[in-house]
Amino acid sequence: MQITQIAGFLGCGKTTLMLQLSRRLAGAGQRKVALVVNEIGEIPVDGKVIEESGMQVKDIGGGCICCEVAATFAKTVYNLYRDFRPDHVLVEPTGVAVPHQVKLAARMSGRDAKISVGPAIVLFDATRPAELLDMDMLGQLVTTQVKDADIVAISKVDAVDPGCIDESTAKVTELNAKAAIVNLSSFTGLGIDTLVERILNWKE
Amino acid sequence: MTDDSAPVSGCYTEHGVSGYGVAAKLSRNEPMPEAFVKAMAEAMMMAIASRCIDLGAKCIGHIKSHLRTEAGTIKADTIGVSHGSFSSGAISHPVKDLYLAINSIVQGIPEDAVKAATLDGMHEVAEQRGLSVVKEKEHTYFDEFDFTASKQDFIKKLAEQFEQDKRG
Repeated sequence: MQITQIAGFLGCGKTTLMLQLSRRLAGAGQRKVALVVNEIGEIPVDGKVIEESGMQVKDIGGGCICCEVAATFAKTVYNLYRDFRPDHVLVEPTGVAVPHQVKLAARMSGRDAKISVGPAIVLFDATRPAELLDMDMLGQLVTTQVKDADIVAISKVDAVDPGCIDESTAKVTELNAKAAIVNLSSFTGLGIDTLVERILNWKE
Repeated sequence: MTDDSAPVSGCYTEHGVSGYGVAAKLSRNEPMPEAFVKAMAEAMMMAIASRCIDLGAKCIGHIKSHLRTEAGTIKADTIGVSHGSFSSGAISHPVKDLYLAINSIVQGIPEDAVKAATLDGMHEVAEQRGLSVVKEKEHTYFDEFDFTASKQDFIKKLAEQFEQDKRG
């Protein structure tokens, strides 16, 4: 059972990507996919939205899975393993979660379940790079998220001109030269195939 | 597997991020068509975001909403006033009742301020458009909701959850 997180700051398009990736990974019944959605607002709106798509979804509310409710997350992953035996678990942490801490929390479930940890895919919103990296605001948090990424998906590329994509790519590369960068549009489908391929072929 | 972790502070608090969630039932005597509901939901998201900024928020993480009706679901959200608000979904016929959930995550103001902005924005936009907030619960959702149930059944269940809360 591979656990892959779709991280990134609030509003960057994680839920939409989760829905598309889960359908593509599931294919025509080739793989079992489960989703874990975490929100700090205690109203799991995203989980309810995804649930309507018919996917197997576990909501974790009441805190962030990278810190406050890490043990609950590990238990949820174990329960999915025990009850559903999915091939892939896609995890949408809160928009403020730190990806390496989510990986640590996922590994806690490895005490009782046979798991591997997939790539940390971090979305970076191409429509607001300056806002996200403003150090007086969220820069420290977003910088940490980008630095922790195995793959950075520059999201909403359909909504900006090529110059903006280049600007986001340059900022991301400056922070994390090792991460693969994928241009993503959940609206047009750009980048989805690449991400699916990376998840399926990922080696820890 | 045991749940052995002690409560800890959220990683996000050091970045000044606060969240608030509320569920409500909104009603209007005159049935509301899809366009009306979408416009109202979008206006609500913008009103909440504007209030957060007025109260000192530096950045809107997201304001998201989910409206269930007997005729379908509408979702609306914004990531900031300058970004506009968007809605999706469909309702098949005009409705009198809406079951609404809002989740506001904002940076730069405390939870009390996010709460005030969320509730004020919701009430103001609802009332401007002739809706009354019949019932309201914070930090909760319609957890027992069964998405496989018929539209009539799920509305009944949502209503029951508000009643249980009133009794509790």
